[in-house]
Formats: sequence, C-alpha cells, structure tokens
Amino acid sequence: MNMPAANIEKQPFAERIEPYMAIIAPMAMIVAIFLFMAVASPTRFFRPDNLTLILQDAALYMPMAMAMTYVITLRGIDLSVGSVAVLSSIIMAFLVKQYGFSIYVGIPIALTIGALLGLINGLIITRFNVPDLIGTLAMDLVYKGLALLLAKGLVLARFPEVLTELGRGQTPFLIPTPAVIGMLVMALGYFALKRTYFGRYTVAIGSSPESAELTGIGVNRHKVYAYVLCGACAALAGLMLTGKQNAIQATMAPFFNLHVIAAVVVGGTSLFGGRASMIGSFSGVLLLAMMLNALVTLRIEFFWQPVASGFVIISSVALYAWIQKKDRDGAMGFFAGLKSAEGRKTMQLVAIIIGLLIALLAIGGITAGEVTASG
Amino acid sequence: MTDKKPIISMRGIVKRFGGVVALNDVDLDAYAGEVLAIVGDNGAGKSTLIKILTGVYQPTEGAIKLDDQPLEMSSHADAIDVGIDAVYQTLALADHLDPAANMFLGSELTKKVLGITLLDNKKMRSETERVLMERLGVRLRSLDAQTDSLSGGQRQAVAIARAVYNTNLRVLVMDEPTAALGPQETARTLKLIKALKEQGLAVILISHSLDDVFEVADRVHVQRRGQNVGVVKTAESSTQEVLGMIVGAKEDAA
Repeated sequence: MNMPAANIEKQPFAERIEPYMAIIAPMAMIVAIFLFMAVASPTRFFRPDNLTLILQDAALYMPMAMAMTYVITLRGIDLSVGSVAVLSSIIMAFLVKQYGFSIYVGIPIALTIGALLGLINGLIITRFNVPDLIGTLAMDLVYKGLALLLAKGLVLARFPEVLTELGRGQTPFLIPTPAVIGMLVMALGYFALKRTYFGRYTVAIGSSPESAELTGIGVNRHKVYAYVLCGACAALAGLMLTGKQNAIQATMAPFFNLHVIAAVVVGGTSLFGGRASMIGSFSGVLLLAMMLNALVTLRIEFFWQPVASGFVIISSVALYAWIQKKDRDGAMGFFAGLKSAEGRKTMQLVAIIIGLLIALLAIGGITAGEVTASG
Repeated sequence: MTDKKPIISMRGIVKRFGGVVALNDVDLDAYAGEVLAIVGDNGAGKSTLIKILTGVYQPTEGAIKLDDQPLEMSSHADAIDVGIDAVYQTLALADHLDPAANMFLGSELTKKVLGITLLDNKKMRSETERVLMERLGVRLRSLDAQTDSLSGGQRQAVAIARAVYNTNLRVLVMDEPTAALGPQETARTLKLIKALKEQGLAVILISHSLDDVFEVADRVHVQRRGQNVGVVKTAESSTQEVLGMIVGAKEDAA
C-alpha cells in the first residue's frame, strides 16, 4: 500500500510499473499481511497447517474468481454464483443420496446444471436485454428459492470419498487438493485469456462493445459463454464446498457473490470492462483468504471480518482509480478540493449530518429514562 | 482517368427508408490508384452511399458493378470478400488490446496445438509490424502498449492496416479519417492515404474538410440532398466551386 508515495516522486518509474500495478498492488498487500503477521503472531500464523488452511479457504473461490474475471471484463457482473453453487450441489446431493446415482455421474451432472443456470443468466441478459446486475440478482433469488424448496431445511451429509477429496483432500506436498484444482482452473483461465478467441473477444467486447460489433464479433454469444463458464465454475465451487463440509444445505455460501467480486476487483480487473488480470484475481483471492485467516489467528472478533473486507475493497479500488487518473498535476493534494465552492458545500452537508447526529444523541442522553431489559 | 475502366461502378442508386428518400439516382465510379472524395452537407446521403457500397445497406434500386461484373452484397462480410472494406470514423478499435490484437480483431491468426485452435500472438505481432512498415511506413514505438496509448494518427494507421492486410483489398472507404485529428496527425493520415493510392487501391474518402480533400483527392463527388450534383477534378476546380455545389449556391442563383 505504500506504492502511491513512490509514484509521486518518480514519474517515469510510475509510468513504467503502471501496467503491472494490478499484480503489484495485491502482492504488496499480501506481503504486508505476511510482514504484519510475522511481527504480530508468527508462531500461529506461519504453522504449516495454518498456511494449508489458508490455501484450502482460498481454493474454494479460485474457480469462481477465474470465471468472474471474464464476466467483469465483459462489463457484466454475476450476482448469482452463490446460489448457483448451492442449487447445483443440492441437486447432485439428492441424486446421489436419495436416488443412488454414482458420484462419478453426480459430479458432471452438477457441473452441467451449473452451466445450464449460467446459460439461463446469459440468455436473460442478452435476449431480454435485462441489465446484468438486475438479471443475475433476480436469478439469484430464483435459484436460492429453488434450493430452499428442494432441500427444505434438510442437511444432506456424508458423501463418497471422491467428493471430500475434492473439498479437503491433501496432496503429499502440503498443498490441499482443492487448491491444486483451483490453481489449475486459474492457470487455464489465464492461458485462455491470452491465447483463445474467447479470451481475446472478452477483452475486446469489454473494451468497446461497438468496435467489437463492427469487427464482426458475436458480442451476445461471447457474453453467454462467459455466464455459462461462470455457472459451471460456481457449480465446481459448490462441489468443493460440499466436499469440504461433507454436507450441503440450502443456506450455505451466503457470502460467495460479494467475496468473489471483491477478490476480482481487488486484483485489478476493471468493473468498467476491458481490463482483465487473472494473476490479480488469484492474488485477490489469496489476499482475502489471508486477511480473514489473520483476523482469526489474532483472535479478533469474527464480526470484524466484513468490516475488514470492505476496507480492503474500498482502498484497492480507490488506488486503481487514482492510478488510472493520468493528470495528477492539477489535483494539488487530496484536500485541495475542499477549498472549492463545491467542496465547501459538501463539507457543509457533512457538518450538518454529523451535527444532527450529535444533537440527537445529546437529546436522547439528557432525556434518557430507566433501562428496561429488551425481550 | 476516363480511358481506364472503373473498379467499382454504381448506377442509378436509390435508397428509401420508409417514405424518406436518402439517395436519389446516384452514380459513382471509382478507379484504381485514385482517391475519390465524397463531400456534402449533413444529410446529403454520403453515409448511406458508402454503406451501400460496403454492403451494410442494400439499395432500393440501382446496380453496382465490380470490374464490369454485377455485384450483389447482402452484408458487410460479402463486401470484404470481394475486396471492399471501410475504416470507420470510430476506427472500431478496442483500446485495451495491443495494436496487433486490434489489427487482427475479428480475423485472428491461429495455429493448432494438439488439435486445439489457439491464437498465434507471435505471428500476429510480426505481421502487424510488417504491414505497418511496408504498406504504411509507420513504426510504432512499442507493440506491447495498449492501443489507447497511441496517438490519433497511429490509431488510424492500425485501423487502416487492418483493412489493407487483406491482400485482396481493392477499394478502401474512409469515413472522416481526419475529423478528430490535429494538424500534424492530419498531415500524417493524408500521407497514409497517398501511400495507399500509390499502391493501386481505389480510396474513397468522406470528409468535411475541403482542404484535406483538395490535398489528397483526384476527383470530388458532391452530394446534395440525396443527389449527386456533380463530380469535379480537383486539378480543375477550387474549394469555392465545390463549396458552392455543396450548399447549392449555383442552383439558387439560377
């Protein structure tokens, strides 16, 4: 996080490293966490099994982060990954547990259902012209509802070993099986971004849909591809989660959506499209997993977790916005804007709201009566 | 010029959009190794005319001949197949991709690896460098930088390179290539157009800037209210005369 300071002093250097900022920024944050933990709680954080745990947590998000990188690069967003993961896993669980399907059929079925749900998302967005945000948000409700309808409150548990291996298996080299799968998927995603039509057109469409259309690229078709990929990867994550817990219920994975989007955005993939960074997404996933793990290791109350996630997201996105602003000469420092008329009006609003809150608290405090137990 | 046969010859082109007559009985000839400028006020039918020529629109009436052969096009892809392409005013570039990726956008070079079709980035890169140098005399400082870091003229060159990479290309339509450029970049772009002309292409240039038109064009086709009000040779005419034709000063005086 101390990169900006270096940028101001040495402009040419800043220009040279700019293309790599997407990788440098999350890496710098990861190193910062490492250093911080080395001071704060080295024995607990750097235990091999804790590092394995971090990888295992991160692994769950890797496939989805890979697919989400494509979707976001296309100027889309998929808010339904969480419920796609749960719904496809629940269907798989029912087939395996209630109907005696082989797990070797069940896993491909779950992935196919994920792809199908993604296809529905994609078609709704491209055929009915529903904006990505609304379309996937609404379908998230639909899929979540269907999962609840199917499973009721049931917890389906105890699955064949293949699935638990997928979720919490351990390779001989310290790295958990899910992490191997996750990294493999991300590596494939990285490769596809550079070397396939799909990857190239994803960037082109996100960069300028009009230009892509003019050069004869099937814009809607590639959008649908991205959502199908996202659905299938969400299903894979669902399988990994089911394997990890060796159980599945409809209310699992509530934080999937925003966590995945956060990891991708922290990694430097632009929400405005065209700028993809697969390595950034990978570091983003690792960063969030490490940060959450660090909070646990430091025995900080669990509920600080979303607060910390929010801070990381805001600071990284603000950093990227700052990097991309080419003309920094006119800014005259962060607080210069406050001196303008616009800035003063904003400050007035700030003062009014804070003043109002203080006044109300004071009135409440003065007139406070006896305290009665709630409930 | 008149002793040569035109590459492209449009006769009696009429285009109606519902009740609106956008083009009314327009003729157009374009010759190899010649720059033909199309000028006219807004709504004079310039864009409609080139959209018909590039296969985007189909004429309501009239015929197009390519090398004396009747030509029917149902899409822009058909036009590219017979060697007619256009560089749009927006250039149709994806700013986040590098110049090589942009030059081959929509028609990437590929190679097979283990039966899987992959993009051949290395080849596209070397081809981009070659085409830019050989055909346009342009050398980019870096082929790795994103396209949005290039200057207006360089972006123009990348967009033109995309069209001329097709060795089959014979007619290149350029829509307002200098509209968004400064004087220096404009000069460079005009140089590019001259280079293309030397290479034997028929260049059709749409422009609002009569200075640019008189600088590069051999003939000027003037459109007014959907009709062709005359074709003049730049060597035998002046901006005043063309301007008069564009606004219809002669007609009104008569």
